[in-house]
Amino acid sequence: MIRNSLRALALMALAAGVALGSLPAAAQTRKIVLGYELPLSGDSSHYGEVFRNAADLMLEDFKASGGLPGADIVIRYEDSKNDAREARNIAQMFVDDKSVVGVLGDFSSTVSMAVGEIYAKAGMPQLSQTASHPDFIKISKWQFRNVTTQAYEGPFNAAWMREQGHAKVAVVAIQNDWGLSAAESFANAFKAKGGSITSIEYFNPGVRDFRSILTKINRAAPDGIYLCMFYEEGASFLEQRQQLRVAAPVFAASSLYNEQLLQLAGSAVDGLMLSSTFVPTNPDPRVQSFVTRYTEKYGQTPSQFAGQAFDAVGIVLAAIKKVGPTVTRDTLRDALAGTTDYPGVTGVTTFDPQTREPAKTLARMIVTNGKYSVIR
Amino acid sequence: MASAVSARKNVSGPTIPPAVLKAMLAIFLFIIVPVALSWIGGGYLFQVATTTLIFIILASSLNLVTGTAGLLSLGHAGFYGIGAYAAALLSTRLGLSFLATLPLAGVAAGAVGVLVALPTMRLVSIYFAVATLGIGEMIYVILLNWTGFTHGPMGIRGIPPIDLLGWQPGTPLFDYLVVAAVTALSLWAMSRLMHSYYGNALRAVREDDQCADAMGLNVVRLKIEAFGVSCFFAGIAGALFCHTAGFISPDQFRFAESINILAMVVVGGLGSLPGAVIGAALLIILPEALRSFGDFRMIAIGSIMFLSILLQPKGLLGEASALDLLRRQFGQGWSGNFATRVGWR
Amino acid sequence: MIDIYFVQQIINGLSIGLVYALIAIGFTLIFGVLNVVNFAHGEVYTIGAFAGLMLITWIAPPVLAIVLMVLAAGAFVGIGLERLAFRPFRRFRDEASLKSRAMREATLLSSLAVSITAREVMNLAFGSQMQTIPHAYLLQRPIVFGQLSITVGDLVIFVASALMLASLQFMLFRTRIGLSIRAVSNSPLGARYVGIDTDRAIVATFAIGSMLGAAAGILVGLYDGMITPQMGFAPGIKAFVAMVMGGLSSIPGAVICALILGVSESVATEFLASGWKDLVSYSFLIVTLVFFPQGLFGVGRERA
Repeated sequence: MIRNSLRALALMALAAGVALGSLPAAAQTRKIVLGYELPLSGDSSHYGEVFRNAADLMLEDFKASGGLPGADIVIRYEDSKNDAREARNIAQMFVDDKSVVGVLGDFSSTVSMAVGEIYAKAGMPQLSQTASHPDFIKISKWQFRNVTTQAYEGPFNAAWMREQGHAKVAVVAIQNDWGLSAAESFANAFKAKGGSITSIEYFNPGVRDFRSILTKINRAAPDGIYLCMFYEEGASFLEQRQQLRVAAPVFAASSLYNEQLLQLAGSAVDGLMLSSTFVPTNPDPRVQSFVTRYTEKYGQTPSQFAGQAFDAVGIVLAAIKKVGPTVTRDTLRDALAGTTDYPGVTGVTTFDPQTREPAKTLARMIVTNGKYSVIR
Repeated sequence: MASAVSARKNVSGPTIPPAVLKAMLAIFLFIIVPVALSWIGGGYLFQVATTTLIFIILASSLNLVTGTAGLLSLGHAGFYGIGAYAAALLSTRLGLSFLATLPLAGVAAGAVGVLVALPTMRLVSIYFAVATLGIGEMIYVILLNWTGFTHGPMGIRGIPPIDLLGWQPGTPLFDYLVVAAVTALSLWAMSRLMHSYYGNALRAVREDDQCADAMGLNVVRLKIEAFGVSCFFAGIAGALFCHTAGFISPDQFRFAESINILAMVVVGGLGSLPGAVIGAALLIILPEALRSFGDFRMIAIGSIMFLSILLQPKGLLGEASALDLLRRQFGQGWSGNFATRVGWR
Repeated sequence: MIDIYFVQQIINGLSIGLVYALIAIGFTLIFGVLNVVNFAHGEVYTIGAFAGLMLITWIAPPVLAIVLMVLAAGAFVGIGLERLAFRPFRRFRDEASLKSRAMREATLLSSLAVSITAREVMNLAFGSQMQTIPHAYLLQRPIVFGQLSITVGDLVIFVASALMLASLQFMLFRTRIGLSIRAVSNSPLGARYVGIDTDRAIVATFAIGSMLGAAAGILVGLYDGMITPQMGFAPGIKAFVAMVMGGLSSIPGAVICALILGVSESVATEFLASGWKDLVSYSFLIVTLVFFPQGLFGVGRERA
């Protein structure tokens, strides 16, 4: 494969570069490697593909706008299959490779946390584009993320639903770390605002038949449903809800936001309301240019996941640029911690100086006639 | 390696004296490998080596119950998970040290194994296999949903690394050496069980349990013991895993992992302990070695697995060959002129 | 008054169970004859669904034509599967190999290896995300009875399972090939001694079993509206459990147990959090096996 021979060439170049290390730094281009661990095979490979696409696009942009003088930056992708065991091996590989100054990934929180222990011990900055487990960032000062935790999104959606007049809501959430935190933060915020929760229904990952849950919810007759799941399950849920004629309107967390949802769910998706950090119809020129180029290059509209990865890589590259070609893992970490007002396609991102959590803005969206649109 | 034929001739004994062979293996495991890996530097290879050792314990324990005793168990990862969670909870909630959590994890897994074995012992072959599949899945569901006790999908974080009576360097080398020591001990124990008259009894139960019963063997008790011991070692592997990983979550202990372990045993040779070791090493190291295949890696692995089973259905080191090897090379057979290799020492 | 929601739950459960039953029928047929678990059956199911999708995208024939073409594709895949993963292990005819457990597990593992490879190939070819089936073909129109609702797809699957069962019973008991299949299933060696071409019978079994599996795939695909290369894994396990619970040799038994599993899952959701429903179905399994060691409808089989 072409990528393999390129990688082999890159490694040989690296070896040659190390051997010639006695030359003064200014005369030599330093090879800086960013490790990217992501699922390129297995059940989550479609997410990994999207991350890789977005990352490549961002790297192209970076080079086109001048890159970093005195250094050549490459991204090294490794397939973790979203499996903790594989990911830990990859993490060790990255840690051992002296040219890797920072790592992006992984996809799910559990895997990101499993490798987080390794990066923490070795002192390698790690930025995950999607790990939203509240404990992830507490592992050590080396962990970063550019995705909002549910601690922020839950109350946002709770306030929205209360504004719309909903008083009794049922929550359906996926039984994983993300779903748990999403459901709890929403439920607590909703109750704090005076609403009541009829029940929180957790379903094990992989389940696609929600009719039992829908029937159970129907019995309790809530006036709204809040979903904490991904778009594949969401599509099934919405279709089955239509089949069983459950009338309560549906709100969802931003995880449901994806073009594919519209195709998969057909007419059942009309009327869905959800929050999102990434809106492709956002007139902001940065967003538009990203959407246009992504669609041109890869033939599909970018999803929120693409936007997240695009920004994640962008944040790391910006931090590297700030430090310069002599960047090390320590200096990169400090630069990342100081990220303020990074203009990303998923919103302006700032890392809190205390907790390193990102602060972003969320938008409210609704689906009408099979299209997403933003509600002011 | 037809032992019947060579029994008639006066064959030479082992090419290397058994004691020397064992010493060589020990030196390889405890000196050559760590020195080589330290010299190459970096934690990656140590990581792979430690994982290989843990899976060697898992594959050998599955081999004990499935290969030697003939009880196909599709829920092995569940007991691995029980061991890991037991060790994690004991060390994070009660602050017990590694020397305590390791055996306790094994005992926990073994106890659950015996509990599970008691009602299901009347089942034969495929029925028993499905029952173990069900039990493995039930264990996963409990780990996932009993959030109060196990933290559910959040997993357990911050598990302390291996410490020996307060000494806790936490380096990959140290972890490797401790895991290697435990692996060597476990393998020795399982070898003593499998390559002895007790092992013969298990094999008899496997081949024809009604005959074994007629011969006076307590079949039910043997089966339960084999299952319990195998789960004990799975628990030990789980404890090792959780202390070297620092973070565990329920999705690492699903049916797919049970199938992985079973694949290691079958590829290596069902019923053969060295075969299980080889199978585990192969199926852990191969995916790492094939990383350059990129997107085609899993296809390559599946094909290699298929080819190895196709070309060597009895396993890379099948049972007959392995037993023969052990009797001859390791001197576990009856002493004397090695002309007859009947019977264990 | 009957609790209408409870009735709806039972209907939900039956429809889940029917999907498992569809898969279990082909699976049990193959197991009954070869006494070996065919791990790749879930993949045949998935291949059926994708074959259907490709036919719809390229040719767009009517639904019935698709099902027939998928049946043909399934038979083709089944024959190929048998030749690739199962026949090579029958080349050992000596007594030791026939009785050897290692050989049996090897066959099991070979079908597992094939299933892993097939799934990855499909992941690469189609991508691992959900694929939609064009709406014109979907069987999702709801049919409403008062407060209860089912879909057209539920009825179609029910009719399909009934048809499959009926046609299998007919084929097994009224045709020559069925007779040879039953003979091989009873005793392979004995069948050979009386002059039955066991190889042909086994190939026929695989062809028929895989046809049914592929048909199940496309029907469920049309019912769900979306397909993905991983769709075969979980239902495959449930079908396996249903088969064993029902007694290995009994296809109607497998169907009934599949329905029981489905209903138990659905009803469990009423009373427990939905995450525990797997616990309930597997507990059902264990309890059944403890009281009926040969499965609910199993007749005593020859030892091992």
